[in-house]
Amino acid sequence: MLKPLKVLIVEDEALLAMELESLIEDAGHEVVGWATSSSEARELIDTVDADIAFVDIHLTDGPTGVDVAEYIVGKDNSMVVFMTANSKRIPENYAGAVGVIAKPYTMAGLNSALRYLQEGVREPPPVSTCPTGFTLSPDYQSAWSPSHN
Amino acid sequence: MEFKPTRESPDAWHMTDDLHAEHGKGDPFAAAIRATRMSMIITDPRKADNPIVFVNDAFLRLTGYSRNEVLGSNCRFLQGPDTDRQSVERVRQAIQANSDISIDILNYRKDGSAFWNALYISPVSNDRGEVQFFFASQLDVTDRKESEHRVKADKERFEAAVKERTRELEEALEAQTVLIHEVDHRVKNNLQMVASLIVMQKRTIKDEETRHSLDAMLSRIEALGTVHRRLYQSKDVSRFDLADFADDLISDLLTASGHSEIRKELDLQPVIISAHKATPVALMMNELVTNALKHAFKNGGDESLKGTLGVRLHNHGEHINIEIADDGVGFDGKQENSTSFGTRLIHSLARQLRAEVTWENANPGTRVKIKLPADEMQ
Repeated sequence: MLKPLKVLIVEDEALLAMELESLIEDAGHEVVGWATSSSEARELIDTVDADIAFVDIHLTDGPTGVDVAEYIVGKDNSMVVFMTANSKRIPENYAGAVGVIAKPYTMAGLNSALRYLQEGVREPPPVSTCPTGFTLSPDYQSAWSPSHN
Repeated sequence: MEFKPTRESPDAWHMTDDLHAEHGKGDPFAAAIRATRMSMIITDPRKADNPIVFVNDAFLRLTGYSRNEVLGSNCRFLQGPDTDRQSVERVRQAIQANSDISIDILNYRKDGSAFWNALYISPVSNDRGEVQFFFASQLDVTDRKESEHRVKADKERFEAAVKERTRELEEALEAQTVLIHEVDHRVKNNLQMVASLIVMQKRTIKDEETRHSLDAMLSRIEALGTVHRRLYQSKDVSRFDLADFADDLISDLLTASGHSEIRKELDLQPVIISAHKATPVALMMNELVTNALKHAFKNGGDESLKGTLGVRLHNHGEHINIEIADDGVGFDGKQENSTSFGTRLIHSLARQLRAEVTWENANPGTRVKIKLPADEMQ
């Protein structure tokens, strides 16, 4: 049995954040915080212990999600997964993030992604195959799923 | 060309051409006028048809005529097909009135070519104030007139282009507005369908608590529907009138509560916010007004105890203040059940909007104050 994930949510829309929080908790994981802006996200990641951050590209202070991802990855304590409907705004190197969950996601899609990420965080590389609706960044593609290269 | 001496003052002949051999010589002023590069003529209004009685060489060079051809003629031979009739009339009137005139007029040379003539005419009177001559000078200002015309034509062309572009942009904006209105209309219709689904589902449910949950969901979805209805009815698709919305919301919720005896005390200042912020603000107001209505008539079921719902919407420059008050049972200093979904929704939306929400005991009842930062609402 793998240890549950501690998740930080970085999302400007209150309803989406609330829904994501209940889905994550229903899947047996813990939400350690919710940030709506890049500054809140930086403050939170400095004070809470998160395994993974789900980061929307567009936040209340603009399209600052990529900067947030770079900051979190730079601290080297937590992984980042983007959650966006517009993956074109993600840079080619994914700012060091694991990958992207496309919005809108389904409950089943999110649960598979959470299981896959739990394996990737606790005992990398994951044993499950990368679920649909979840796209790995080029770096994690070669680290976690080399056969696909 | 024949000129007979008249019985007028001999000075009158001083500069006429047919006498220049005897009279002009030795007169330095006459010599200067003959030699200047400025085209000049003199006419005699006392003779029939005000003929030219003197021209200098500059006039002959300018017009291409010989002296014999012009002496004794009225100046109108300089006019041609494109000469402006109104300008001619103004010159005629000035001469008739013995006044001077300065005017740009299109004239023609002997070879038929046109030139712009900056014409100046002034009457010359004797001691008794009788006009004896008209003195006229001509200056070829074709270059200046042409550049004036060019500038005017350019200006007209640019103005036409700007007008055309403005019209195109207005049409594009109009088309875009129609499209966005259409989108809002469809969203509203779909929300109405979702609401209908909930109403139908509710009919099949016996459990009171579940029915209440569905009612709460219904009112949230209807509030979103009202937002989109207001958006597709507004002229400016990017702005949202919070006062209009609040008015609609309160009427809808009062009707839905089935307690028409509840009094409304509305004080709604016009507050315009960005269309992007409309949904969270609307949802939050819906939760708070719904709560207030619930409490406003919890007065023990006594119909004579009419509840009051007070809603204030004020624009304080830096902040937009919304106050929602009831005079019901109040919350006895205790915070609203903080684990209920409605309360969580209010807190989460407040965080998204950077809003401060405070609950006060209004004795009787509860007053909720929302303080929205105005710059976040634009």
